[in-house]
Amino acid sequence: MSNGDRDAPDVMHRPREGLKLMGASVGAADRMAVRGMELEVVRRGTGRPVLLLHGMQTFDPDAGFMALLAERTEIIAPSHPGFGQSPRPDGFETVYDLTRLYLDVLEALPHDKVTLIGFSFGGWLAAEIAATCCHRIDRLVLVDALGIKLGGRETADILDVFNTSPAEVQRRSWHDPARWAPDYDTMTDAELVVRARNWDALSLYGWHPYMYNPRLAYWLRRIDVPTLVLWGASDGIVTPEYGRAYAGLIPGARFALIEQAGHHPEIERPEVFASRVLEFLGD
Amino acid sequence: MDAWWQCEVPYPFVPSEVLDAADSVRASLPNRWCDPRIAADLFEEVIDEFLLCDEVGLNVIAVEHHAGINSLLGANPLLVGILARQTRKVRILSLGTLVSLRQEPVRIAEEYATADVISRGRLEIGFVKSGGSEMASNNANPVNNVERYWEAIDLIRKALTHQDGPFSWQGKHFAHRHVNIWPRPWQQPHPRLWSATGDPETAAEVGRRGMVQVLVLRGPEGTRRAYQAHRQARVAAGLPKVTTDNFAYAALVYVGETEEEGIRVGSKLLWFLNTSLKSAPQYSRFLPGTAPPHIAAQGYRNKPRADATPSLANAEKGVAPANQNAANLMSITPEQAMAQGILFAGDPDSVYRQIMEFYDKVGGFGHLAMIGRSGFMTHAESEKGIRLFAKEVLPRLREIAPVAAE
Repeated sequence: MSNGDRDAPDVMHRPREGLKLMGASVGAADRMAVRGMELEVVRRGTGRPVLLLHGMQTFDPDAGFMALLAERTEIIAPSHPGFGQSPRPDGFETVYDLTRLYLDVLEALPHDKVTLIGFSFGGWLAAEIAATCCHRIDRLVLVDALGIKLGGRETADILDVFNTSPAEVQRRSWHDPARWAPDYDTMTDAELVVRARNWDALSLYGWHPYMYNPRLAYWLRRIDVPTLVLWGASDGIVTPEYGRAYAGLIPGARFALIEQAGHHPEIERPEVFASRVLEFLGD
Repeated sequence: MDAWWQCEVPYPFVPSEVLDAADSVRASLPNRWCDPRIAADLFEEVIDEFLLCDEVGLNVIAVEHHAGINSLLGANPLLVGILARQTRKVRILSLGTLVSLRQEPVRIAEEYATADVISRGRLEIGFVKSGGSEMASNNANPVNNVERYWEAIDLIRKALTHQDGPFSWQGKHFAHRHVNIWPRPWQQPHPRLWSATGDPETAAEVGRRGMVQVLVLRGPEGTRRAYQAHRQARVAAGLPKVTTDNFAYAALVYVGETEEEGIRVGSKLLWFLNTSLKSAPQYSRFLPGTAPPHIAAQGYRNKPRADATPSLANAEKGVAPANQNAANLMSITPEQAMAQGILFAGDPDSVYRQIMEFYDKVGGFGHLAMIGRSGFMTHAESEKGIRLFAKEVLPRLREIAPVAAE
């Protein structure tokens, strides 16, 4: 199948342009439109196509792991509606909406199959998408993914980032918070506005039940593509034990820890992260 | 002008070292610091003060706040029910059950209709948007709080007025297949509706709906702008002009026998601002949805950047966001509070003069909501202030008739 197939939603690819917000450039990003919905998208590299779904924050197009992956893959990294510069239509405010949107994106991309990589909140989306339909996916990678409920009713599996002091959230997000925690005082206005926008969108999609679908754990058994679950060994947002159990619910999934990394191994250990992913793709 | 008295039943008896060490005195402060025996004494005193208001002809307000030292009134309908039965003359404003925090607006309509019947038509229904730490305390998504607020009000209003058997409601946030409340309210078509709000956008909607608009501790500038937004929205919608009866202002108020006593005792009310507003960053500047991203982003920085673009540095074109308002109020002194129309205190003549100066600055209002007891003010001090206000100030305010608001 290809973009020209009769039932595939229309996709429009626009030329690269620096998007403007409040007078400041926020990095080179393309746009794509799927069934009338416009998304900001970062594209990098050539090779095997990978669709990256970001987590609580949008991707930094200049992140080291992106460059490393781009050496051997074609990266397609959209911002979810409401995040970054992607508009969010009225009423579009559930993970149900996001899952269907990305099923459309998968149908619309000019590739028979792509590798789906989801990070944190985007890992939840990737798991939902793969549990719904795998025919456009050849491999699945979940990185410190949210989305399922494992513990008892008095155990919160996922740190409540909206209800915990920001300092504590940062401490639990990183293996080395002193090095990696964001310093808002040094960010540009445009970067902070994107952060605030991402935060609102995350709350809208993930507030209740907090960052999980109560039925997803049951349906993970439907995923029938090779799956790698990667986890930062020091993740304090969702623990490696949660990740191991997550992998255990996906038939045949492999689980691997990345040492000296927290909730964002792709940022704290880009080389290790990229080599794990590329190795998995090469299998 | 009408006057209304309220006490939020604050709980100031937590050791100050505990409060200083806590990152928030709301939502997360362990309730082991609340002694139920002390709480019972407080409720008894304050309900007696409400009954004194009934005796001297001062209307009463029952508020709602959750899980903090600022107020023990987490369950507004309970106090409203007590006041509906125990008072006999005055009007009772519920300001109010926090509708965007509760899942069942129909149940709220039942509570209000019941209180209106018990009080034989003395109930007024106020709605408050809520926010901040109450989002955590009530599991309420802060991002679409305002949507839930209006949808809940619409559903409550329909439940109070619909008399023709069950109707169904399938809204965005609330679904109820079969609504048919008993009793229906005493007042027809329904008790008067109020809304407490500060931002111009909500003020405009309050105006279009013809509700009474309450501004709480906003000072003259913010209050005037909100009243103006209310009136302009009515003009733009082709609706008839309203009188000052549509506008209310809530301030800290205390009347003493002398100017010195009024200010000395009245200054105790500032505890509410100085001590009980302390809120952790996750409940205030980092709470999603409380301001548009270009305004919320201002709160992310600890130090403002010299090169901040005008769009961010001057983003606040209307009234300050609620959390910024709170930050300003926490450090206020009695002199500043009096200068800004947040505290009206002194002897009777002085308090009357302060109220009327504020009245003139904002273009007039028909209701003074008095935050009359807070912090460590004693029961005796509170009762003395109520009696003096009712005897010396209230008769003068009553002479101010509603006028077409310009």
